[in-house]
Amino acid sequence: MQRKQLADGVMLTDIPAERFKTGRITLNFILPSQRSTATAAALLPLVLERSCAAWPDMTEFSKVLAKLYGASLSAESAVYGNRRVISVSISGIKDCYALDGEALSQEYARVLFEVAFRPHFTDGVFDEEALEIEKQKLREALENEINEKRTYCIRQAKRRFFSDSPNGVEKNGYLDEVDGITAQQLTAFYHEMIRSAVIEIMVIGADAAQVGESIAVQLSQVERAPSLPEAPSAMPRTAPLVIKEPMDTVQGKLCLLFTTDAIFNEADEAKLRLATAIYGSLPTSRLFMNVREKQSLCYYCVAGYAPMSGMFMVDSGIEHQNAEKAKDAILAELETLCKVPVPETELEEAKLALCSAMTGVGDSLNGLENWYFGGILKGRIRTPEEAKARIQQISAADIQEMLSHLSLSVAYFLTKEEPTHDAN
Amino acid sequence: MTQTKQILHNERVDFTCEKLVLENGLTLLCAPMPGYAGVHAVYGTNFGSVDRAFTQNGKTVKLPAGIAHFLEHKMFENEEGDAFSLYAATGASANAFTGFDRTCYVFTATQHIPEALDILLSFVSRPYFTKDTVQKEQGIIGQEIKMYDDSADWRMMFALLQSIYHNNPVRDDIAGTVESIAEITPELLYECTDAFYTPGNMVLSAAGNITMEELVAAVERQGLRPAAAPAEKLREPEPESIPRPYHEFTMAVAQPTFGIAFKERPVSPAERFRCDVICDMLTELICGDFTPLFRRLYDEGLINSNFAGEVGSGDDYLCFFFSGETSDPEKVRSELLCEIARLKKEGIAKEDFLLCRNLMYGEAVGDLESIENVATTMAGCEMRGETLFEQLEVLASLTLEDVQQTLEQMLCEERSATVVIRPAQKSKG
Repeated sequence: MQRKQLADGVMLTDIPAERFKTGRITLNFILPSQRSTATAAALLPLVLERSCAAWPDMTEFSKVLAKLYGASLSAESAVYGNRRVISVSISGIKDCYALDGEALSQEYARVLFEVAFRPHFTDGVFDEEALEIEKQKLREALENEINEKRTYCIRQAKRRFFSDSPNGVEKNGYLDEVDGITAQQLTAFYHEMIRSAVIEIMVIGADAAQVGESIAVQLSQVERAPSLPEAPSAMPRTAPLVIKEPMDTVQGKLCLLFTTDAIFNEADEAKLRLATAIYGSLPTSRLFMNVREKQSLCYYCVAGYAPMSGMFMVDSGIEHQNAEKAKDAILAELETLCKVPVPETELEEAKLALCSAMTGVGDSLNGLENWYFGGILKGRIRTPEEAKARIQQISAADIQEMLSHLSLSVAYFLTKEEPTHDAN
Repeated sequence: MTQTKQILHNERVDFTCEKLVLENGLTLLCAPMPGYAGVHAVYGTNFGSVDRAFTQNGKTVKLPAGIAHFLEHKMFENEEGDAFSLYAATGASANAFTGFDRTCYVFTATQHIPEALDILLSFVSRPYFTKDTVQKEQGIIGQEIKMYDDSADWRMMFALLQSIYHNNPVRDDIAGTVESIAEITPELLYECTDAFYTPGNMVLSAAGNITMEELVAAVERQGLRPAAAPAEKLREPEPESIPRPYHEFTMAVAQPTFGIAFKERPVSPAERFRCDVICDMLTELICGDFTPLFRRLYDEGLINSNFAGEVGSGDDYLCFFFSGETSDPEKVRSELLCEIARLKKEGIAKEDFLLCRNLMYGEAVGDLESIENVATTMAGCEMRGETLFEQLEVLASLTLEDVQQTLEQMLCEERSATVVIRPAQKSKG
């Protein structure tokens, strides 16, 4: 892996990947995650992905990608703590596999830069007709969030957990703002992104020199003033909030959100990662073995940790009548891990599982991209080997200490909808 | 113990895999992938949710819905404990899945590969069931069934299958129902493993940082014996008619979901793979991203980018599904049927055919860079009597006429069924 600064606020990460059949180039625009621009930030990728100035018609543009052996172009918006990342990415098969010897790689880069830097504008702003169609898609996506009960429960819990914090700005924007977004507003947001975003380019198994030259040409036409968003922060400890939302469901859901009260340094983050594995992310974790297998209180019960916001989560699919019991059992397992040191075998096996997964990072484009981009966002790029070495140093006492930092903030239940009776 | 190793190489994608059938009947498949750190292994049996009756030694055994999936759960346990605890000592990540026509046990690992292979082979080859463990699993799987009951996509698929099939077990949920799995006993599970968890009915497939010699050594350590008597699967005849042309129900969803399925005549095993490729291409030609139908419905706000078609195929069934969220299910149904009629009448454009071929070829090439995809696809292809490279070669040789001819025989309205899921009215508190 090589990192190169192309300009102020523009970095290129080149990851050679000869063994793969495909290559990928991603342009990541990193901005502060702001409440005021959240809906525009969610809408922008939908409009960018649809077409561009070179191929303004959506159907014709889809044909261009199909001709390039189904090259996958995607534009996405994500939130990591207080950062918004808008990414535009293309991946496709390498030139040597083309049926008719086409020069595919050059075309991939050209399409990507057209999409990111020459959108389909009409009279200097995003095309109104296309915008209205994509606004409807966003509106529907926001309305449809109840369709996936597990995700819905987690999102509802996060809304209570983050409240008005910058970490809680909605990734998909806000339903009541969608209608009001104009082509002028979205265009202004786009220009601001090009002007002020820190740009991180990931080139995996593709020609980094060519990508570097292309980006230099694009940015030479723009007055740039990139600035890094502020350092991320965690939510403070609060008294636990318990919310029960009735819904017509067969299986209940429970999401417990905890704060770490601080953004951890590299050493502590590694410890919490291992602690998370032992508590609830491995098939031999305490939550799986005890809460699911021994007590049969849930179908799934998984722990996870978001290092950019200091949020720790347990989410679970439960029987409605066991909701409270499941919550108590999940918390009891956490308490035990805080009080009683993890046996040596359990600790070593969890290390083995994490290290084995890290060794396999290089076996896929996704694995490589997620690993290194995650490091870039956190401001500490490490190889899997370096991360493994750190994991090996962790002790049972470290696990107790890190889990003791967790403080429950929100317990969100999706409960059964009880039949209602008129009170009159 | 071994026979001659077959080496399959495809110049077009510069990829090699090996096949070896052992004397005990077990088929080994291996794709060594230079430069990869991990190994993905799949140990699969040709026994899935549609296998609901068989004969062995002159005895006929009928099975309740969900038994293949139930077995999948139970095979992680033996007298010494559970497989996950043993895998933990190797760092491997293990899992399993049950489909309509197969059950596969898998792991991904970067170290202690021989030990992980030993765990995989020993657990799946030496079943252990008791009344108590079966009873406990009935509770866990009951919860899994409830989880899927809340998924609109899952319920749509089975509602469509129940609408087009009278008897074919593909209409039943892979996990069965709480009632059907209550019928499962240890004795019934042993009858299934005796019949189908035998080397001649199984495939061990691995890709990544591994060699065929390592696979052979792992199998030799287990000393697996061939089945005493072969089992024969029994199928119920399926009438051509559609049992339920229209069905709707409600769920806690924000907007309606529409689905339509077309019941087709199954093709012979020899034709099946080519037919599957053509049918996949037809779904893309009817409602893929670059089709006029997709564009029209998308721009009118009637579908989102999740609207898609797919194909289901097995030994004795073949069907198409088209489904997605929409505010106007009737309009989407009508537009879809009109587009199929138009393509039948006017013919598929040569340009669209070539675009589709390129698109599907690109996806097939991309699949060869993942150890998980390669090992899983090799196992799946073998169980259907195909090889890993067949899709690539079918695509390279396919003609527009082949696709047009298939279209003319399929996707008839009178052999279709429609399902609509409407939003449930939330009760007033």
